[in-house]
Amino acid sequence: MAVHVFTTMGTTVSLRFAGTLPDPRLLRVVEAGFDAYDRRFSLYRPDSELSRVARGDLALHNASAVLRDSYADALDWRSRTAGAFTPHRPDGVIDLNGIVKAAAMAAAAARLDAAGETDWLLNVGGDILGRGDNTGAPWSIGISDPDDRTGLLCALTLDAGRTAVATSGTAERGEHVWRLHPQTPDSTAFRQVTVRAADIVTADVLATAILAGGHDHLDDWAARYPIDVLTVAADGAITATPGLQHTRGLAPA
Amino acid sequence: MSLRTAPSPVARVVTDPSRRIRSRRRLRNADLMVVLCWSSVAMAVALYLAYGGPAQVTDLASGLSALGIVTGLVGTDLILVMLVLAARLPMIDRIVGQDTAMAFHRRLGKPALYLILAHGLLLTVGYAMAAGSNVVAETVALFQGPDMALAYLGLGLLVTVVVTSVVAVRRRFPYEVWHAIHLLSYAAVLVALPHQLSAGGVLADGTVQRVYWIALYVLAFGSIALFRFIVPIVRSARHDIRVAMLEPIAPGVVSLHLTGHQLDRLQTQGGQYAIWRFWTGATWWHAHPISFSAVPTDRSARITVRSLGRGSDALGRVRPGTRVSIEGPYGIFTDAHRSTSRISVVAAGIGITPVRSLLEHAALRPGEATVLLRATDDSQSYLWNEIGALPGLRGNPIFSMVGARPHGLATWMSAEALARGVTITSVFPELLDSDLYVCGPQSWADLVIRDARAAGLPHSQIHVERFDW
Amino acid sequence: MRRRAIVLSILSSSAVLAAGWQLGVATQPQPVSQSLSQPTDAAAPATGTGGTTADGSTATPTPAAGTGTTAPSTAGASGTFTGTAAQTRFGAVQVQITVADGTITDVAALQLTDHDQKSVQISNRAAPVLRQEVLSAQSANVQNVSGATYTSDGYLTSLQSALDQAGL
Repeated sequence: MAVHVFTTMGTTVSLRFAGTLPDPRLLRVVEAGFDAYDRRFSLYRPDSELSRVARGDLALHNASAVLRDSYADALDWRSRTAGAFTPHRPDGVIDLNGIVKAAAMAAAAARLDAAGETDWLLNVGGDILGRGDNTGAPWSIGISDPDDRTGLLCALTLDAGRTAVATSGTAERGEHVWRLHPQTPDSTAFRQVTVRAADIVTADVLATAILAGGHDHLDDWAARYPIDVLTVAADGAITATPGLQHTRGLAPA
Repeated sequence: MSLRTAPSPVARVVTDPSRRIRSRRRLRNADLMVVLCWSSVAMAVALYLAYGGPAQVTDLASGLSALGIVTGLVGTDLILVMLVLAARLPMIDRIVGQDTAMAFHRRLGKPALYLILAHGLLLTVGYAMAAGSNVVAETVALFQGPDMALAYLGLGLLVTVVVTSVVAVRRRFPYEVWHAIHLLSYAAVLVALPHQLSAGGVLADGTVQRVYWIALYVLAFGSIALFRFIVPIVRSARHDIRVAMLEPIAPGVVSLHLTGHQLDRLQTQGGQYAIWRFWTGATWWHAHPISFSAVPTDRSARITVRSLGRGSDALGRVRPGTRVSIEGPYGIFTDAHRSTSRISVVAAGIGITPVRSLLEHAALRPGEATVLLRATDDSQSYLWNEIGALPGLRGNPIFSMVGARPHGLATWMSAEALARGVTITSVFPELLDSDLYVCGPQSWADLVIRDARAAGLPHSQIHVERFDW
Repeated sequence: MRRRAIVLSILSSSAVLAAGWQLGVATQPQPVSQSLSQPTDAAAPATGTGGTTADGSTATPTPAAGTGTTAPSTAGASGTFTGTAAQTRFGAVQVQITVADGTITDVAALQLTDHDQKSVQISNRAAPVLRQEVLSAQSANVQNVSGATYTSDGYLTSLQSALDQAGL
């Protein structure tokens, strides 16, 4: 195994290969891909296209096709999740952070696939996308324990076509997920939601949506989309869909 | 006008057994068609049973779902039957006639819609109960299933078609507008087909059930495409019919003389009608069912029209040389559908038209026919002179009855005839041994039939030509 | 001859329905069929890589009985059991459970896909689970950790960085 680590989009990326590292030029291309997304969409960069739109310097209809397509995707997901996932911040700014990271990961995956890499694991700040396996054994992913940064809740594998894992939570960066119903008592709200799906955008968006939407929507979306979901409530209670009920470290209650 | 009003000496009538046999066979075929229709419904349900349907009913939710599936199967089968009934299949026309077929078609409309609505509702409720969610969430979830959006579209189209066909609504539209909406039913069926083959797993791959339903669809739509669309188009092209001359024969009544090629190949029987479309700017979108008023020859045909509304009014102004397309000939108001050796004919007003060609075509011997011509006044006696001149009617009595009916009385006779004590059996003494052919305004014809039935004449010996099916 | 038509229709339809019913009854699968697998197979799922093979499988649609050899039943049931096919909006679904010493260790849905081979969703409800052990990255033998997004600074003190350093 070999790992390549680099920073982008305000977080750290771990790119792990089952064999040896590929050509450094491929790695630079992958890094450049992330940087391009960051330069366009980061609201922490005053000169990014999205910042200029937020300030009012650039009208949305004059923005690039990439930005408009990304916004359209986010709106699609907003209607599919009944507003639980939304690119609209309470102050009116369009924040595509929730979808851009996953889109950048999908683009990086396409580049790696095109270069012929078959067994790799891409981790961007806790969102994971895998391909192939770890010399015969499926990639094994630990789910972080929101109460203990050094511990794991469970360990699941990337197999059977669902090789993307995204976790949304309030632990690391604070309450950056705007809830659908802020007035619901916190004890039944979720603290952390992990979604395993076939593609990273679905996993990322739904993890965010379920965290924001709470219990009411969990069963509906879990039924509608081909995903596995693991949730941790504010009081520590853990639930899992059938696909994750027997992962290492968990058992049905 | 020279009409004989007294019969010539009646010659002995030769009974013809083959007529009775043919008539019996037709009735048997009509029964077989009915049996086939209901058996197809049973077949739809039987296939479901054969593939273990009932075994999956374990609780209320699965019971509702199973019922939902069955209503869908039966409803779809009935709709396919309805489409075939309206497809103008020659076999159906020969056996029962288009008007009977369409009457049955109309009767099936509402039940079919109710079944399909029940199908949607029961399945939604059943699945919602099984999945533990509510009906609204389940509808949303169902909507996202494979081909389900199309299925809901099909349901919407079906509701539109049936609602606009309810008599109260239908009257508000011009006929052609209503007909255009009605043709959406083809779209409704086709659009709902994908979900039947993919969702729910009832018509699963590799099952006889799937093969059966696909075959049914192919059969139904194949017949429709062939007989409703292709055959009329080919026929019109082949015969190249055009208007030759217009001949006004009475106020508001005009005979259109038509020319064409090989019109005898249409094999039109006297008494039949066709659906005509005249290709002028004002009339092309209106298709008219009009009877042949004379049996077509190789190169000529004649139809006679009375202007009843804007559509038929415009026909009176069609110019010679106008192209005409034809669908047909259809109809069982013919001599071939006779079961006895005698005919009794009653015609009023424009009803004379099919009667004229019927009598022209029939091989009649003296004493076999009795004809009664009815008119309110002299202006309605057009073509009576031609009837009188028909060679086949030599030796057969032709009666006329002219005059308005008595006020306030529901009778088909004139006041004067009624006062004289005329009855249907006094006009037609051999009524019960004859086939009765009636053509005229709807309510008047119904009264004739009422009297004939009261006299004991069976349904199989009564033939009515209706102009408004 | 309407009466004749009605009578014949009833007769014919009843005959067709009866035939269908009979065929349906005759081909019914047994409600539960057991197949007892070797003891080693039953023990395997306990190492917890269980998960349904839901979306990948494209099993052919037969309400078939489970396969395998029959052996004398052991006390404390173990083996693979297949339930009856149940009708859902996605088609018929069958569930296969693996039991080891009386506890269910694996649940697999034998999915019957539609003719387009679209992978079909079955009920995917989240149910409460309990932690069985306190896992660490080493004991769990994971290669990566998924958690709420960390910043680059957060990464430095995270589990992931420890794993990455070990992997390098």
